[in-house]
Amino acid sequence: MTGPILQVDALVAGYEPGLSIVRGATMQANAAEIVVILGPNGAGKSSLIKAIAGLVPVTSGSVALDGQEITQVPAHQMVRRGLAFVPQTDNVFPLMSVQDNLRVSAGVLARAEIAGRIDEMFQMFPDLARQRRLPAGSLSGGQRQMLAAARALIVRPRVLMLDEPSAGLSPKFVEMVFAQLAEMRRAGLTIVLVEQNARAALAIGDRAYVLVEGRVAHEGPAASLWHDPIIAELYLGQRKEGAR
Amino acid sequence: MIDLLGYAAFFLSTALIFGLIALGLNLQWGLTGLFNVGIAGFVAIGAYTSALLTTPAVADRIGGFGLPIAVGWLGAMVLAGAAAALTGFATLRLKADYLAITTFGVAVVAQLVALNAVGLTGGPFGVAFIPRPFGALADHPVLFNFSNFAVVLAVTAVTYLALQHLTKSPWGRVLRALREDERAAVSLGKSARSYRIQAFAAGGAVMGLAGAVQAHLIGFIAPDDYVPTLTFQVWAMLMVGGSGSNRGALAGAVVVWAVWVGAGALTAALVPTEFQARAAALQIVAIGVMLCVILLARPQGFFGPTRRKAKPGGGDA
Amino acid sequence: MNLQFLVDGVLSGSMVGLGAIGITLTYSILRFSNFAHGDFMAWGTYATLTLVGVIGATFGATAPLGPLSFGWPLIVAGLAGMVLTGLMALALDAVLFARLRARGQSIIVVMASFGASMALRSLLEFTFTSRPTYFSRSIQMAMPVGWGIRITPDQIVLLGMTVVLVTAMHLFMTRSRTGREMQAYSQNAALARVVGIDVARVVRATWLLGGALACAAGIMVGVIVQIRPLMGLDLLLPMFAAAILGGIGSVPGAVLGGLIIGLSEAGAVQLIGAEWRQAVAFVILMAVLLVRPNGIFGVRER
Ligand SMILES: Nc1ncnc2c1ncn2[C@@H]1O[C@H](COP(=O)(O)OP(=O)(O)OP(=O)(O)O)[C@@H](O)[C@H]1O
Ligand SMILES: [Mg+2]
Repeated sequence: MTGPILQVDALVAGYEPGLSIVRGATMQANAAEIVVILGPNGAGKSSLIKAIAGLVPVTSGSVALDGQEITQVPAHQMVRRGLAFVPQTDNVFPLMSVQDNLRVSAGVLARAEIAGRIDEMFQMFPDLARQRRLPAGSLSGGQRQMLAAARALIVRPRVLMLDEPSAGLSPKFVEMVFAQLAEMRRAGLTIVLVEQNARAALAIGDRAYVLVEGRVAHEGPAASLWHDPIIAELYLGQRKEGAR
Repeated sequence: MIDLLGYAAFFLSTALIFGLIALGLNLQWGLTGLFNVGIAGFVAIGAYTSALLTTPAVADRIGGFGLPIAVGWLGAMVLAGAAAALTGFATLRLKADYLAITTFGVAVVAQLVALNAVGLTGGPFGVAFIPRPFGALADHPVLFNFSNFAVVLAVTAVTYLALQHLTKSPWGRVLRALREDERAAVSLGKSARSYRIQAFAAGGAVMGLAGAVQAHLIGFIAPDDYVPTLTFQVWAMLMVGGSGSNRGALAGAVVVWAVWVGAGALTAALVPTEFQARAAALQIVAIGVMLCVILLARPQGFFGPTRRKAKPGGGDA
Repeated sequence: MNLQFLVDGVLSGSMVGLGAIGITLTYSILRFSNFAHGDFMAWGTYATLTLVGVIGATFGATAPLGPLSFGWPLIVAGLAGMVLTGLMALALDAVLFARLRARGQSIIVVMASFGASMALRSLLEFTFTSRPTYFSRSIQMAMPVGWGIRITPDQIVLLGMTVVLVTAMHLFMTRSRTGREMQAYSQNAALARVVGIDVARVVRATWLLGGALACAAGIMVGVIVQIRPLMGLDLLLPMFAAAILGGIGSVPGAVLGGLIIGLSEAGAVQLIGAEWRQAVAFVILMAVLLVRPNGIFGVRER
């Protein structure tokens, strides 16, 4: 095993010129590892992974996937490179059927392979199979997250980035989602997980980063981080003095 | 020489009337960001309203109330403003494109009414014998042209000053804030829409006034005066002048009208009669291309460029 | 009541509907109302007319097909015209719309389309003058089909063409990869990029299809009515109204909207006179905007 699968170096990114949201974040993810990104609301967690995915303009710093520089690669070529992303909100095509959501997301696969891959996804998420003809917009919150995950997994990514997959789900569902993530990690997938639900995320995570105001303020093994008092202080929302 | 002066006065009168329309558009687009593709319609509403209110009674047509010119102009503003308010009311809670499409429809319908409601608008022949402010002077062309010019100048000056004042008033500041900052619009909620409707209606009223003033300047109107080319010319004027600036609107109007008239005179002189219709078409092509080039290369226009950077938040907005 | 208006309404509804497909696609995928769409229609028709002329000059006069007013040259020229119109739309996008779109202000793109529309239309007037012309000057006999309805062979064939085009378009949008990608992009542009959809491809397909269908609609107008530089402008308001009535982004909606407008126009014209035809589309537009701005099939509009 040489080097990390995903390597992010001093990344600076923002939506408008002159206003950086990600301000020099450095992190990495190794093969078959779950990396958790924590941080207060507005810290730039979503912006960081969107920048990695090519959706937020990067001003400096670099992102490398398996040693290959992908910083300026257009967003639509990221799946082809093995990087899949599940956004926090609006992560399905609401008027298309469940099946068509999967099909339209499988475009990078060989044509002959697609139907089989869709069936595999339906085996992995039997709930979705039952709803395959319904428009994705009519699914429940949990089913929608499942579809979003299936949509990302269908292309067999090497790195999967998820933005708060547990948001708005009932505790039982959260447990299920996280169990599934742990399962995928065992199968060799690298997962970058942004979460508000720190306890659950750290429980399955290998390592964690705490992002504050666009920078990594703290990092360490997931298990130890949960007990670190500095996390309680940093993470449980002390950001008054940090305001611009 | 005297003739030339008279012509200059006439030319400037027409240019300033275009300037007046451009001022109305600047209030809608430059200040508030509301797109109007039906300018010709609102100008037509103003022109016909004033014409119907002020012409002497005729047998085969409704209207002809013989009222004073001032009443005609007031009526023009009220009706054109009301039409604009209604358009805004129907569309301003929706995406911006719906306003554009609806204004386009208003112009189409205004044209239809002008052309087909013969009992109201005279149909293709239009309305004649519209009283002119200094009709008594018609025997002295130069004097007549100058007095007309004075009237147009006065109306334009008053409108310009009023708009300058409005722009700088709290009302104008709200409009600018609405245009530049979506969050302001959200925080104002329902009243944001009402502000926009007000601005759109006021702009429509100015266009109606311009239509009325022009009708009384020429003394005769017909549906052909209110085709989409008019809308298009006014947009070109505002874009050349620089949207957002009242001075720019007036300057753009004079410049574009001069180019238009000059090109017309040139083709009339150089192009054989049988090709003149084609040459006129080419003239419109040129303006269309110019509008696109301005949008691509210099969206801020030629007059009052980069003023916003030099003096943030102030100046002649 | 004379039922003839049904035929007239369905015919003009087909023209409007075919054109409205392009409008609804440009709106939902490129996010602007294209005021130049009517002029694509006119350009496509004149391109077809020119090609028919070229074919006539090369191969000599050809006999019309069966009872129709036109022969194979119009069919060949029409197909080529559809491709050309699509390419022209692409070219206009490359020099004008794409650059403005990149700046992110959609209303500026609308304005540019307005300027382009004026220029395109006047260029036609310059080249072909504003005199109306025809694909064929032969007069067709209308055949009675019962209930007082009469229809010409041309009209039957063109209605058939509409059905074929609309069905093909619907299948394309729902069954083909590009069609699904277009749907996906119109529903969520950012997510479309995330799942690997190439925006440039989607944009290309949108212009090619919109342009081709506009040309088909124009040819229909040309065969049934006449060819004029203003033919597209006259249909612009009904097309916009149809697209909004059917729900922006919906291809079947645009066609249905077109039919509703065509039938209402044809019905109303019997009562108020043909000169008011365009006002019907405006009334319907206003009613939809006031009562149901998302249209009949529309689900969501931000
Ligand atoms: N599309 C956008 N355009 C402009 N600014 C944005 C955009 N999205 C987010 N921001 C800004 O970036 C900052 C960080 O937002 P981001 O969503 O990355 O935070 P986050 O850590 O994911 O927060 P949360 O925990 O609430 O999801 C915020 O100040 C936000 O206002
Ligand atoms: Mg977030």
